[in-house]
Amino acid sequence: MTKGVNALAAARILLLSAAAVVVAFPLLWVAIASLKSPAQLNDPGLILFLPNLENWARVLEAGILNAAGRSAFVATVTVAFSVVAGSMGAYAISAYKAGGSATRFGILAAQVLPPAVLVFPFLTMAYALNINNTYVPIIFAHLSFVLPVITWFLIGFFDAVPRSLEEQARVDGFSRFAAFRLVVLPQVLPGIGAAAIFGFTLSWNDMFYGLILAPPRETILPVAISAFNTFRGVELGAMSAAIIIAVVPVVIASFFIQRRLVQGISGGAVKF
Amino acid sequence: MAEVRFNKVRKQYGSSVIVDDVDIEFPSGSLTVLVGPSGCGKSTSLRMLAGLEEVTSGEITIDGRVVNALEPKDRDVAMVFQNYALYPHLSVLENIAFPLRATKTPRADALHRAQGVADSLGLGALTGRKPKDLSGGQQQRVAIGRAIIRQPSVFLFDEPLSNLDAKLRVETRFELMQIQRRLGITAVYVTHDQEEAMTMSDRMVVMENGRVAQTGPPAEIYARPNSVFVATFVGSPKMNVLGGSVLDQVFHSKGGAIISTAGIASREAVTFGVRPDDLQVSPAASGGGTVVLVELLGPRAILHIDAGSDRLTSVVDADRLGELGQGATVDLRVRVHAEHLFDPTSGFRLDA
Amino acid sequence: MTRFRWGMLAPVLAATGVAVGFPLAYAFYLSLTDYKLTSRGAPDFVGLENYLFVLSDARMWNAFGNTATYVAVAVTVQTVLGLAIALALQKQQWARDVTRAMLLAPMFITPIAVGLTFRFLLNDQLGAIPAVLRSIGISYDFFGPSNALLTLSFIDVWQWTPFMVLLLLAGLESIPRQPLEAARVDGASAWYAFRRVVLPLLTPVLTVAVLLRSLDALKVFEYVYATTRGGPGTETETIQFFTYQTGIQFFRLGEASAVAFVLLAIVLTFIVILFRRLQRSAAR
Repeated sequence: MTKGVNALAAARILLLSAAAVVVAFPLLWVAIASLKSPAQLNDPGLILFLPNLENWARVLEAGILNAAGRSAFVATVTVAFSVVAGSMGAYAISAYKAGGSATRFGILAAQVLPPAVLVFPFLTMAYALNINNTYVPIIFAHLSFVLPVITWFLIGFFDAVPRSLEEQARVDGFSRFAAFRLVVLPQVLPGIGAAAIFGFTLSWNDMFYGLILAPPRETILPVAISAFNTFRGVELGAMSAAIIIAVVPVVIASFFIQRRLVQGISGGAVKF
Repeated sequence: MAEVRFNKVRKQYGSSVIVDDVDIEFPSGSLTVLVGPSGCGKSTSLRMLAGLEEVTSGEITIDGRVVNALEPKDRDVAMVFQNYALYPHLSVLENIAFPLRATKTPRADALHRAQGVADSLGLGALTGRKPKDLSGGQQQRVAIGRAIIRQPSVFLFDEPLSNLDAKLRVETRFELMQIQRRLGITAVYVTHDQEEAMTMSDRMVVMENGRVAQTGPPAEIYARPNSVFVATFVGSPKMNVLGGSVLDQVFHSKGGAIISTAGIASREAVTFGVRPDDLQVSPAASGGGTVVLVELLGPRAILHIDAGSDRLTSVVDADRLGELGQGATVDLRVRVHAEHLFDPTSGFRLDA
Repeated sequence: MTRFRWGMLAPVLAATGVAVGFPLAYAFYLSLTDYKLTSRGAPDFVGLENYLFVLSDARMWNAFGNTATYVAVAVTVQTVLGLAIALALQKQQWARDVTRAMLLAPMFITPIAVGLTFRFLLNDQLGAIPAVLRSIGISYDFFGPSNALLTLSFIDVWQWTPFMVLLLLAGLESIPRQPLEAARVDGASAWYAFRRVVLPLLTPVLTVAVLLRSLDALKVFEYVYATTRGGPGTETETIQFFTYQTGIQFFRLGEASAVAFVLLAIVLTFIVILFRRLQRSAAR
């Protein structure tokens, strides 16, 4: 009978190994490609060669770090606002069932909206208010999908904080808001951390809004990467380097939050 | 109908030993209770028997067959869990029928038999409900129904009554005994409640720290516990146990209590045990003990007595209370031959 | 008391109003005009003309069909694969965190980078995969006619299976242990226990996961933009890409908004039907 169990265990390990290879392979290959010269790139099978930092120089020269910086700026502002507003809102929804169960669904409904619907209003409003050369439109556009997600995510974490904690604080003399700030908030800090990283990633990764709404000539990172994808022909080496720059910070961040992500989702999504 | 045996069964995690080379015999058709405090290894033993835990070393046999390598489903055992473990998404009828369906019994047949079992347990009208719509006692019965429908060789019960309120516990206890007796299936029952163990078992196995402390019929374990541990674990209120010496048929505890006996040899050092039911108190003006608290339990009363620096309990009939109120001074005496003597160092019974 | 509650909600509501509500309303207004990005002066109100045009546009329905196929293939494969991987991860004993972190990584990468990576990887001349296939005698044009949409679906699978794994793992870990042990004792084989105990209890999470992912997959744009730009022909022109072209490349914002709202309407109908069915089965 234990033979059956062992066969399952073998299948399991096989599956996970295969998955690991499938995940790692494209990224490793791109990383290797970023170190190849144009001539070497013509040979896809070439693995052992003398690494060449030409592509990286080209990419840095083209201002990729500036683009990354702009992405980071937009993401940070978006997340900062989302976390503050989102935690207050999530608390209200969790503690007072504000808006009822319709709110939870409503938030999810905001995710349904295709960016295509909202981008044109943002564009025209930006022109009308003459702010199309600023970061305001893109920040608001990012808010439209980051804020709901962060709020929704945090509801689960607030649910897990026992009401008696705040009640104790209020009996002890704190105002409602002080109780929220000093007692409840610290309890959900891990959740906020994960939500912040998750939200940052969402904003960092967006290309659609960035393509259309970012100030001209001040592109954000995903758009900058695709700029190497010109109609003249793809500058593969440089593009590979750009991809790695975009990928690495995010993958590192994901290592830190994967456990909290499972927690947060168990708290929120599963309770439907 | 199957005999179950544990031969030098051990369960070890790294360096911590949960079950320490135990030998137990569960006679065919009997209801044997594994009882002991938390952490004594009783649940682990049960789970090893079920096949839910691996055996580190030793053999478990059912009807002579060694089952160590068998998956639970191939051992022909049925188990009732403490939390009932009902399938939340299935109705009562489907829950009971599950074991039959899992072993490929046709649907109509399985549901029909499940209905029969449900009726026999008084669940006939509830078969369409889901577990969350049932009371604790009803859920328990569904779990029992699911176990008995298979006519297994062995029944396993893992503290099934712990989640029920006191009154329900007593009622269900009786029902379980009846079912087991009627079906004649060997049953292994785990509990931490010594009263449950005493009332239900044909045989009791008292466990402590992964080892068997004593095995035998409940009456024997009650009357002749072979160690201080067993003596204080079984019986309520707890047996009075004091260290001291015997001189001239009188026991003097180290704390100053004086208990008269009839016919014990003098001893330098001994651990003396006397059950509250066997500790006789008589009012005496200059007695060795003082009653500090009287708990009236209807027909009986529990007296808490301070003697020297020791605290003793005695159980008396309520109509004998008379002058034995709070503050009364009393003399203490053991009923003839009702004392238990243990070795002061090892804790084992002296006249085993 | 109520003031506090609404006070706490105010920032979220205000931001959502500005970032979502207002643009949504404005987009609707736009869809009823003939606004072109290049035109001066106020746009003319044309009522439902845009909608009529769009609904009769074969190209739009083509885009819709492409998107539907893409979503169906991608989400189905992701769900099955995701479930298998989640089950495997759940039982895993050693190196749990590292494995999980690694397997979850793809979903955090910016989609354009993923698209470009695969464009590169699957490129006939320069890509590793076609080279490997050629060495064993198979010649397959990943972005060629009839293949491109399928290839894009699999890019989606590569990036988003981790998301399914995440949700399903959370779901699996919230299933109570004891009924599963009871099933083992009751005689159920591993497959039977999975089919009759685990799967039914996992259904709520599965539904949410499939729903979320489908909604997200509908918005596919970056993969198309990075690889085929809608081609060959209009084979991989998805709704979002089509809208982008109509609005940004052809500057017909009024029309583009109308397309977007048609999509929204279809999706919302779908969701409402789904939720009605869910509520009915929950009440049963």
